[in-house]
Amino acid sequence: MIVCLAVVGHQNNPLYIQSFTEADDALKLHHIVHCSLDVVDERVNNPKKSGPTINEAFLGLLYPTENYKVYGYLTNTKVKFILVTTDLDVRDADVRNFFRRFHAAYVDAVTNPFHVPGKKITSKIFAERVSTMVKSFGLSPAS
Amino acid sequence: MEPDASIETSSMIRVAVLPIASIPPLLFQDYAAMLLRHHTVSLNSISSFYTEHQKSPFANQPWDSGSLRFKFMLGGSPPSPWEDFQSNRKILAVIGLCHCPSSPDLLSVANQFTAACKSYSSSLVQRCFAFCPGDSQLEEESCKGSNIVLFPPADRQTQEFHLQTMVQDIAASLLMEFEKWVLQAESGGTILKTPLDSQASLSSEEVIKAKKRRLGRAQKTIGDYCLLAGSPVDANAHYSTALELTRLTADFFWHAGAMEGSVCALLIDRMGQKDPVLEDEVKYRYNSVILHYRKSFIQDNAQRVSPLSFELEATLKLARFLCRYSTYSFMQDFCCWTSVHLDVFKWKIFFFMCTVFPYACIFIRRELAKEVVELLTAAADGATSLIDASDKLVVYVEIARLFGALGYHRKAAFFSRQVAQLYLQQDNKLAAISAMQVLAMTTKAYRVQSRASSEPSHDDGQTYADGRKMHHYSIVSLFESQWSTLQMVVLREILLSAVRAGDPLAAWSAAARLLRSYYPLITPAGQNGLASALANSAVRLPLGTRCGDPALPFIRLHSFPLHSSQMDIVKRNLAREDWWVGSAPSGPFIYTPFSKGEPTHGDKQELTWVVGEPVQVLVELANPCGFEVKVDSIYLSVHSNNLDAFPVSVNLPPNSSKVITLSGIPTKEGPVSIPGCIVHCFGVITEHFFKEVDNLLIGATQGLVLSDPFRSCGAAKLKNAHVPNISVVPPLPLLVSHVVGGDSSVMLYEGEIRDVWISLANAGTVPVEQAHISFSGKNQDSIVSVASETLKSALPLKPGAEVKICVTLKAWQLGITDPDAASSKGVPGTSGKQVKDGSSPMLLIHYAGQLINSGEPQTGSVPPPGRRLVIPLNICVLQGLSFVKARLLSMEIPARVGETYTKLVQLESDATERVHGSERQSDRFMKIDPYRGSWGLRLLELELSNPTDVVFETSVSLDMERPNNKDSSSHCTCAEFGDPKTRIDKECTARVLIPLEHFKLPVLDGSFLVKGSQNNGNTGGQVLASQKRILRLNSMHPLKVNSLGSGGSINAHDMTAMEVLVRNNTKETIKIDLSITCKDVAGENCIEGDKATVLWEGVLTGIGKEVSPLQEIRHVFSLYFLIPGEYTMSAAAVIDDANEVLRARARTRSSDEPIFCRGPPFHVRVNGTA
Repeated sequence: MIVCLAVVGHQNNPLYIQSFTEADDALKLHHIVHCSLDVVDERVNNPKKSGPTINEAFLGLLYPTENYKVYGYLTNTKVKFILVTTDLDVRDADVRNFFRRFHAAYVDAVTNPFHVPGKKITSKIFAERVSTMVKSFGLSPAS
Repeated sequence: MEPDASIETSSMIRVAVLPIASIPPLLFQDYAAMLLRHHTVSLNSISSFYTEHQKSPFANQPWDSGSLRFKFMLGGSPPSPWEDFQSNRKILAVIGLCHCPSSPDLLSVANQFTAACKSYSSSLVQRCFAFCPGDSQLEEESCKGSNIVLFPPADRQTQEFHLQTMVQDIAASLLMEFEKWVLQAESGGTILKTPLDSQASLSSEEVIKAKKRRLGRAQKTIGDYCLLAGSPVDANAHYSTALELTRLTADFFWHAGAMEGSVCALLIDRMGQKDPVLEDEVKYRYNSVILHYRKSFIQDNAQRVSPLSFELEATLKLARFLCRYSTYSFMQDFCCWTSVHLDVFKWKIFFFMCTVFPYACIFIRRELAKEVVELLTAAADGATSLIDASDKLVVYVEIARLFGALGYHRKAAFFSRQVAQLYLQQDNKLAAISAMQVLAMTTKAYRVQSRASSEPSHDDGQTYADGRKMHHYSIVSLFESQWSTLQMVVLREILLSAVRAGDPLAAWSAAARLLRSYYPLITPAGQNGLASALANSAVRLPLGTRCGDPALPFIRLHSFPLHSSQMDIVKRNLAREDWWVGSAPSGPFIYTPFSKGEPTHGDKQELTWVVGEPVQVLVELANPCGFEVKVDSIYLSVHSNNLDAFPVSVNLPPNSSKVITLSGIPTKEGPVSIPGCIVHCFGVITEHFFKEVDNLLIGATQGLVLSDPFRSCGAAKLKNAHVPNISVVPPLPLLVSHVVGGDSSVMLYEGEIRDVWISLANAGTVPVEQAHISFSGKNQDSIVSVASETLKSALPLKPGAEVKICVTLKAWQLGITDPDAASSKGVPGTSGKQVKDGSSPMLLIHYAGQLINSGEPQTGSVPPPGRRLVIPLNICVLQGLSFVKARLLSMEIPARVGETYTKLVQLESDATERVHGSERQSDRFMKIDPYRGSWGLRLLELELSNPTDVVFETSVSLDMERPNNKDSSSHCTCAEFGDPKTRIDKECTARVLIPLEHFKLPVLDGSFLVKGSQNNGNTGGQVLASQKRILRLNSMHPLKVNSLGSGGSINAHDMTAMEVLVRNNTKETIKIDLSITCKDVAGENCIEGDKATVLWEGVLTGIGKEVSPLQEIRHVFSLYFLIPGEYTMSAAAVIDDANEVLRARARTRSSDEPIFCRGPPFHVRVNGTA
């Protein structure tokens, strides 16, 4: 189950951060997302390591922490998507697919002419769409 | 569990360094630092101190290349329960440090040292170093037998040399002790136990087991000693045996320990080599170490003791090894932690190292980074199940440091925060201080650092942030400042820990940062709480404490008020006599592309301030919070130190903004830089930079910052005010003007002329050397004259001196365009209102002080500027009399009138007795006395209305026309009549009658009357103009011909003398041809013809005469009437050779037309002789 999704701007500023848990652990998830930027930064700054996957936006598992796994995704505009999940056996392909759909939703949200690039994403439609995607995430592998 | 552990730790000899007697802490640190440099002693150097008593068990000791390593424990440490397991945990030597001058009694020092050594039972060597002994102490015998080593007073170098020798001596002694111990252990054997072994009485089975295991454990311990003795090969041999034995006895814990030792031996043996094979070997073996530690976990005593800490330690050791920061600096040794309750001093060292290590991370290979991260993550996971809080703390500290070393600052910050939380759980002051300092380290990663700690980058920000561009740093910090959830938590924790630690300044700073950056996210109650936290902290701070982090209010630059027009500064253009020209933008265009072309400073205005003259700067304050902010004082922060700023205090109600004026006096010439304000608020002095708020506002517009504090307070949007280039110039003269008799506007009625006295005083400290008066503004021609010579003659005007100059003003005529204004004039009270449309003229006085260095050529040096004083002459022109209509009246006047006035008239309207200074003369024309009958009198009746609220008196005066001389100031030929003036009361209409004797109707063309009657509603000014025109027409008529009779009655048959008077009203001499006719009652000519009834003497027709300008001639003749009766005589003249002027005046239609002038008919009654 996805517990947290975040969009982080190219200056490492949070654009959208949403947790999907009942518990009051927003702060903890914020920390996890914030810490994951270390790893993203490292991968961004050392592109030679990702030689074969030069066009791959999906960064894969960033790091496992406590009971969570953190996945990352980097767009061409250096916007980062961070996904925190409690599922310990997730297939990379599923996460990648999820990120692609999430990316599409993000692109739709920021192409809104009233959206100011660099500002936080406040679109309700985006939030609804994301929450639908998150809900269906656990179900899609089964099908 | 110990901090700062690495694989090589196993090879280090622990030495407790203790302060003995009353050594001052600073000296102790000093001596200790000297000692700490000798952390590695080569075997080579100690050979001279070493004597081989027996055959050394360290057969393969590398005497050439090996060395002993010390780990100095400052202040000592309590014994570890794991001493038997790892011999390097034992305190093997004790060194006391003593400062002789502060403890003269060496015997007591020796006793104290012995007492101190007692708690270190494991120590093999004890020495007490006594520095700086006195002569008496050197000779003292009492210490001979003890361990005290006296260091004779010497210079530092010598002392260090002595110290080195003594350390080498200690090393040699230790080596010999190790040999002894090993020989003993090999022969006798010892029981080695760890807390892991059952402490209770051993069951028989366990006794057997213990016996089996004893040998393996002994081998491992001997290996440890070999390692300490600097002999890795020997150590390795023993460890190999131990590994074999422990494996057989399933003594996993000791197996892991032996393996750890063997890795250390391997590394010591291959010291300095960077071999990937070695790295793999270490990795492989250590993983096995970790595995075996895990295996040794026994469920039974898991509650009491657990090998978990060893497992984690091994993990961290491996991680550190992979991080490759195994370079031993003395600093690292210094960091020997006695317990978790560390003193602040050591913490500071720790911080230093943490800040240093990140730079080492560059050298870490990236492939290893992943492994390190995995190890650290595992360690972090494992740490959660640690029982001992201090162990947990150490693990987190190490994890944080290693992440920092990897360059993972956010993770390092995260774990540092965990450390801080653990400290905060301890609930004592020292722990709180530690927590506070750990948190202070995290602020950088969370971008909430205090300005005091980020000063260098801040300076950069200031220099780069010129113009519209923001420095990269500030942009990034704005972006990162969006992790508000995390940032607020960190700041709150800092605040909490600072309050607990009793550091009011840190608490104040944290609360200030929290409030300033995150007020929109804090509830009003929370804001109030922070405000009281600020206040509470301030109470504990000494008065006048400064803090780097500003709190409220937000301050931005509003504007720099320009100099008032009274003290404008003008650059001097030395090349010109009129030096002020060219300083102002020239050319007909407001915008000139060339002047705009200056790069970057194009929009920067230049400001010039003068030493000693107060200046003002407007700033806007905003308090977006829900409580009242009381700013005790706020003043300009001047980094150039040449301005005395005056503090003001201001109260800002909740959610409000205010524009206030800050003033100061420049003290020295040179450029002034005003980056911000110094604010004393909430009990602490802070500096608020304008640039920061500007960046904040830019961030707010880009959505990077939560909220714009000014906007949320409802302040008006303000364009970015830039700090102009301000320079201070030396004192300048300062003229102050006031109008004598009050500075309010001068009320003048249309056409009125008045003198105004303006007093100019030099209020500066420098004399005025040059001054020039010019006019500007509208209606400049209303300034009739200015006594600029008076001003010139008063130069140089010394400071304090005053000069009065006279300005003659003449009111202009009110325009037709303001009929409303004119109509409203009738209402009393409004009539006095000044029309503030800038229609008044202004006096511009450019003045300047002395040119400095007037002797030298003025190349390069900028002359002190001059100044411009603008004196607006507030003239309020009020409507005067208005002309309603004019009529020509003719009257029959009985002949008894004795005198007639010949009038050429000017109407002079004067409100009061104010008379313009022109000369007036009464001139009466009483030349003619009509002798009989009635004669016609023509009168010009002017109907004038007075809409004003004052009384006018009109008087009629004669104005001899001078067509060529337009200078209106010389009314020398004006004449005033002495007859009573006509008084026109306010809001009344009056008629002024002007008798016209010489008025010539033919010349008075129809247009005048038409115009006059139309002009009813017109303003008086035009009426005046019209009237003047009448008069001009009138007076300009070239000739006046009067036929005049002799006095007395005329009888028939009597010779009657008569004369004709001709007056030339022009300026030219006129030639005329005069003729006189006489007609009887029937209108027949009775002079000529066959029926002539009148005889004459003299000439009556064709009289050629020449009349000089403005003169009269008389022509005398006599008539002899034959028949009594009524006769009418008239004189007529034709002008010869009339020039154009005359023709124009006479309004002839063609140039051939004769100009014909005729006098009024003259009636004669001739009495009969009977």
